[in-house]
Amino acid sequence: MATIISDEFDGHQDPEESRSSRQTPGIMADQNNTDDKGKFYSEILSPSELFAARSRSHKIPVRGQKDFFPDDSDEQKQRLEHSLNEHWSLLSEERVERLGNLVNGQWIPSKQIVELQSPAGKFWQTMGFSANGKQCLLPEEALYLMECGNLQVFHQDLPLSIQDGYEKFLSANTVSLQQYQVFGHLKRLGYVVLRFDPSSESSSYARQLNLPQSSDRAGRQLKRKRSLSPAPSSTPTATCSRAEAQEECSTEKMEEDKCSEGEEDKKLPEPPEAQSSADEGGGRSWWMMDVLGDSDKDSGHGSKSGSSCWDFSSISFPDLGSTSREHFPSDLAPPDPSLLPRDLKVGFCDIAPWRQKINLRQVKMSANEQKREKYRRRWDVNKNREVRRCRNWAEYQELMARRKGKREGRPAHLWNREVTPLHDPTQPIATGELLEKISVIKPTHLLEGASRLKDADDWRICFNVYQPNTVADFKKSNPGKPYSRMCVCSFDDPVPDLRAIKLLAYQSGDIPVVIAVVDYGDISFYTFKDFQLPTDVYP
Amino acid sequence: MKRSELCSRRKSSVGIASSLVLPGRRTCPQVVLMEALSCGERRLGSDEEYAAPAVGVSLCDSAPLVWRMQDLRAVRAQGLVGALLGSLPRTPRQNGRLGRPLLLLPEEEGLLRERRAAAALPDRCQDWGGAELRQKHEEEEKKSFEEQSVLALEDRKLALLRAMTGAESGATSADEALRRRLQALDQNFTFPQSAMAVQLSTARAGLSYCPEARAFLQAYGPTGAEPRCDARYQVFRDLRGRGFYLTSAGKFGGDFLVYPGDPLRFHAHFIAVCVSLDESVCLLDVLAVARLGSNVKKTVLLCSPGPDARVCYTSLQWSGMI
Repeated sequence: MATIISDEFDGHQDPEESRSSRQTPGIMADQNNTDDKGKFYSEILSPSELFAARSRSHKIPVRGQKDFFPDDSDEQKQRLEHSLNEHWSLLSEERVERLGNLVNGQWIPSKQIVELQSPAGKFWQTMGFSANGKQCLLPEEALYLMECGNLQVFHQDLPLSIQDGYEKFLSANTVSLQQYQVFGHLKRLGYVVLRFDPSSESSSYARQLNLPQSSDRAGRQLKRKRSLSPAPSSTPTATCSRAEAQEECSTEKMEEDKCSEGEEDKKLPEPPEAQSSADEGGGRSWWMMDVLGDSDKDSGHGSKSGSSCWDFSSISFPDLGSTSREHFPSDLAPPDPSLLPRDLKVGFCDIAPWRQKINLRQVKMSANEQKREKYRRRWDVNKNREVRRCRNWAEYQELMARRKGKREGRPAHLWNREVTPLHDPTQPIATGELLEKISVIKPTHLLEGASRLKDADDWRICFNVYQPNTVADFKKSNPGKPYSRMCVCSFDDPVPDLRAIKLLAYQSGDIPVVIAVVDYGDISFYTFKDFQLPTDVYP
Repeated sequence: MKRSELCSRRKSSVGIASSLVLPGRRTCPQVVLMEALSCGERRLGSDEEYAAPAVGVSLCDSAPLVWRMQDLRAVRAQGLVGALLGSLPRTPRQNGRLGRPLLLLPEEEGLLRERRAAAALPDRCQDWGGAELRQKHEEEEKKSFEEQSVLALEDRKLALLRAMTGAESGATSADEALRRRLQALDQNFTFPQSAMAVQLSTARAGLSYCPEARAFLQAYGPTGAEPRCDARYQVFRDLRGRGFYLTSAGKFGGDFLVYPGDPLRFHAHFIAVCVSLDESVCLLDVLAVARLGSNVKKTVLLCSPGPDARVCYTSLQWSGMI
């Protein structure tokens, strides 16, 4: 019976056996130094060493606590030596694998891929592709598998070392060293990393077309939701019509004024010039003629010195309703005949029957009412400076209209022009809408304007990264949506500006772009997230 | 304020600690600038170390990589740390400890070049693909296979013997069976090809096949990637000369992490930020980097190379109210 020893090589060795047959725990490549006097490179293991490599430990020694400050003590020196020796022994260990566990591949420089000569192992689930009926690997995948000890790549019938792999597979045409560092880092963590192909991503527009949509909805969708123009378009036209109406009224008025002196009271505010000139001209002349004619006035002191007003304080108007005792003549004397039109004779007037017709009862008022009445009697509309500035009735009416407008929140001077206020305070509006109306800075989405940007050479998405827990049902033909996309740069490169970020986000679609920054062995991952400022809006 | 003003405000000799207090509001902590105390370290001896054999450096995608173990040790012996990039052969699927190659910082590369301690390795063996090489490789494989099968047979015999001698007073029938198996072993033992152990070398092993190896060593010239800026290189050289170990500190917002001894055994004490003397430093940047330093419990060191090959250091420490 032929015994085949292969089974002993598969699992772990019986510890007793391994201890007896081998003394050294690991195989150090530079133990060969003494043997290779003629050789230049000295890291090749002898067959006995290769054989002995079966029983290597697969554990990494744990690093102890570090010291704080070097104090030249022996203890520290010993610890340093121990750490360094451990370090060197780990680094100098060479990869030794059973031939049966290794997949063979061949490097094809013309296509820059590795073609597999033996069937692929478990890695085929997430790596590699088929071309011309053969299984192939991309250079970065092949290099990673070489480093893991699963693949042996031949070039011209000689096996490539890891160094050869780095130097041949990594270049600016395929994958750069920095990109491979990120690739390796992510693969060692367990992620599935595939190359990014910009043409395989459908643009957002194309994705929109795929949705079932009627033409109406499409049309409605094109309308901008946010518009900077003021909301109702009826406002400008209303003001226009009002302005037009005003003009019409004023021209009408001017014609009318010329014809007659009596005019109707129009509700709309009118331009003062046309009306007041006609009014004043006629009225003033009539007064002036009279005053100049009869200079007699009751009080005696006159306004002959050029004023065209009657001095009403000197002309006594009998107050028949007055309850004070002084004004109680039984009859009224006839007025000065100069004040009356000609041919009118007026005799004494008996007040008594008139007074009977007047209700002279005292009004009963509460204290508040009496106080208010007192203030009202004292209040004189003429005391207001603005009122005194009005030269005629039309101006006074305008003043009243202005005051009314101010009170109600729609001052005429603001609303009668082309540019009106953003919002009519008399109209109800929700707080949120109002905030949006008056907001000077509007939020913008990252992808706004991104489709117009031209492709730049410096920022490119390199890889699609898929989660490790999806490895079991991962299908290379239909990978699905990646977890994120990787863009690789270094700390010497400039920080990506908004343009670069917009470009990357546009290329990526709705998947976040992570920027991996490589710093001579350290990799840091950064990503930009969308953020919305909270607004205090209570509905 | 200008960096030169900052330096001239204090005594510039090394070892004297003086403090410069920035005026600030009473409510916020004041940043105290102190002269960096020079560490009690040894200065490197002048030329003895540099007589060592040259470190072989290979270029990959225009980055200087060190692959061979002897070169890695030599680089470490010169006080240069570098950064490991590859998977560790023992446990390739983890990121905690990485393996070869070692990537050199541009400043480290520059220093090696200055000391004439580096040599560029040829990027490929001249005879690669030639029939002679292939023949050699096949022969070595065959030899290895034969040796390994012999070893395997011996190993199996030993195992059976141990199993036999273990059972002293055991059933003789079992013993008989084992003895028979032992005898049969010599005739029927086969060592399959698939069981052979093969090495996947890390460093390029092909050069052992090439006859005139040493002739290929060239003096390491500038690769085109000069140290990024002169200020960084001057600072690196000065700090290395004082015995500190330096690695890159992009994650910490600075140029270098400064260790008082080997990084394997000590934590970094300083974050070095290189600023040239005539560059004006925005106060906000100073505050930001000081804040960062205090968060990671390291002292920030503003370094500026001066005119007479001396470097001016200013350390920032966040102190409480004074």
